[in-house]
Amino acid sequence: MNYQFNFAPVINNFDQLIYGALITIQLSVGAILIGTLIAIPCAAAKTAGIKPLAWLVNVYIEVIRNTPFLVQIFFIYFSLPALGIRFDPNTAALVALSVNVGAYATEIVRAGIESINRGQVEAGKALGLKGHQIFRYIILKPALRTIYPALTSQFIYLMLTSSVVSAISATDLAAAGNNIQSATFAAFEVYLVITAMYFVLSLGFSGLFSFIGRTAFRYPLAR
Amino acid sequence: MKTCKTVLALAGAAALAVGFVAGPVAAQTPDEIQSRGTVNIGLLVDFPPFGILDEAGNPDGYDADVARLLADDMGVELNLVPVTGPNRIPYLVSNQVDILVASLGITPERAEQVDFSEPYAGIEIFVFGDAGLDVSGPEGLSGQNIAVARASTQDTAITEIAPADANIQRFDDDATAVQALLSGQTPLMGGSNVVISQIEAMAPDRFDTKFSLRQQSQAIAVRPGSDELLDYINDFLTRVKADGSINALHEEWVGGPLPEFVVSGD
Repeated sequence: MNYQFNFAPVINNFDQLIYGALITIQLSVGAILIGTLIAIPCAAAKTAGIKPLAWLVNVYIEVIRNTPFLVQIFFIYFSLPALGIRFDPNTAALVALSVNVGAYATEIVRAGIESINRGQVEAGKALGLKGHQIFRYIILKPALRTIYPALTSQFIYLMLTSSVVSAISATDLAAAGNNIQSATFAAFEVYLVITAMYFVLSLGFSGLFSFIGRTAFRYPLAR
Repeated sequence: MKTCKTVLALAGAAALAVGFVAGPVAAQTPDEIQSRGTVNIGLLVDFPPFGILDEAGNPDGYDADVARLLADDMGVELNLVPVTGPNRIPYLVSNQVDILVASLGITPERAEQVDFSEPYAGIEIFVFGDAGLDVSGPEGLSGQNIAVARASTQDTAITEIAPADANIQRFDDDATAVQALLSGQTPLMGGSNVVISQIEAMAPDRFDTKFSLRQQSQAIAVRPGSDELLDYINDFLTRVKADGSINALHEEWVGGPLPEFVVSGD
């Protein structure tokens, strides 16, 4: 192997990589929050047995889960302007990631809700809890606790998927890497560092999620 | 592994030696070619629309048609020899082809190895965009979104001259940058006359060229000292530029007229 390693292009442009990593974090955190806000009502609608609503949610889930993410993001960035809906590249990336993770998270949350024993709901009714209290304390919270590990691995997968948003000129970590690579041709060094940065980001998200899980789902041992 | 490398090195040296043994860099005259009855013309086949392979695997494109025009003019058979970007000058100087019509851009470094004719094609890079937008120079890019293909000549050129508040959006290729312009996501893009001709065919009158960034003339090349042949080719180019036949080929393949700086030969 005669390859001469040269990390100077990476070191000299490290500020671009840091900026890209910050955008990747922003996009991921934003999409996780918005995706969760999409998933909970969608899963509730699907399990509540309201036919037209459940049907709409199913259409959304099936369309998103059966089309490639790259095509979804191209559609949002290049096709929606024809309908007068225009986003700048980073916003389009956030919208696409949110809509995408929302569909997957809906199915995960639905599985959690369906795992709740009907007897528990009836117990809540017998205790005189109101509908929204039953949903929040008896259905949603235990459901989320059950599916939390599956949900967080979906979120980490989302952060890794966000690396394709450079296709619409969003300025995330992968885009910063592509820019440096195509200007300096130091492909091995650039992608090695990018890989390491994504790995560290994944570990960071993973640690954060397990901290949140420990704090939010400690009950019923202690409240 | 080491033996393998040695063998390769020996083979390379042998190939070079054969190249030189076959003859020193020999000047060429039109008479020699005409008495032989065949002209060997080297061209690229991986540089659309200038050099491509057709469905049957034969060389085609703008360069191939210019070569056909030239061979017809000389009244000889044409033998098209596919060459690549890195080996086209070695093919010429080692006498394996008589003439290169291989999209060879004129540069001072290359002019030391080959003799260039007048330009027969050219690539010009422009800032291009919405017809209503008044942009006539780099300062007009201020506050605008400009689509470019990542690390292309236009990316480098625009990055150099654009004001700090211009937003250069880098896409993976020309096709995606064009998509950003056509969908209205960016009012401006950087691209070559080839790409711009394609856009104008798709969306006539929606866009116009704002200002030129770079221009590169491509010329026919012959071995150094082949003055008679070069005079013949230059005379040929003057005639086909005047009668419009080379422009028709450019229209057919590139989708637009021959750039002005090619016609005038500046």
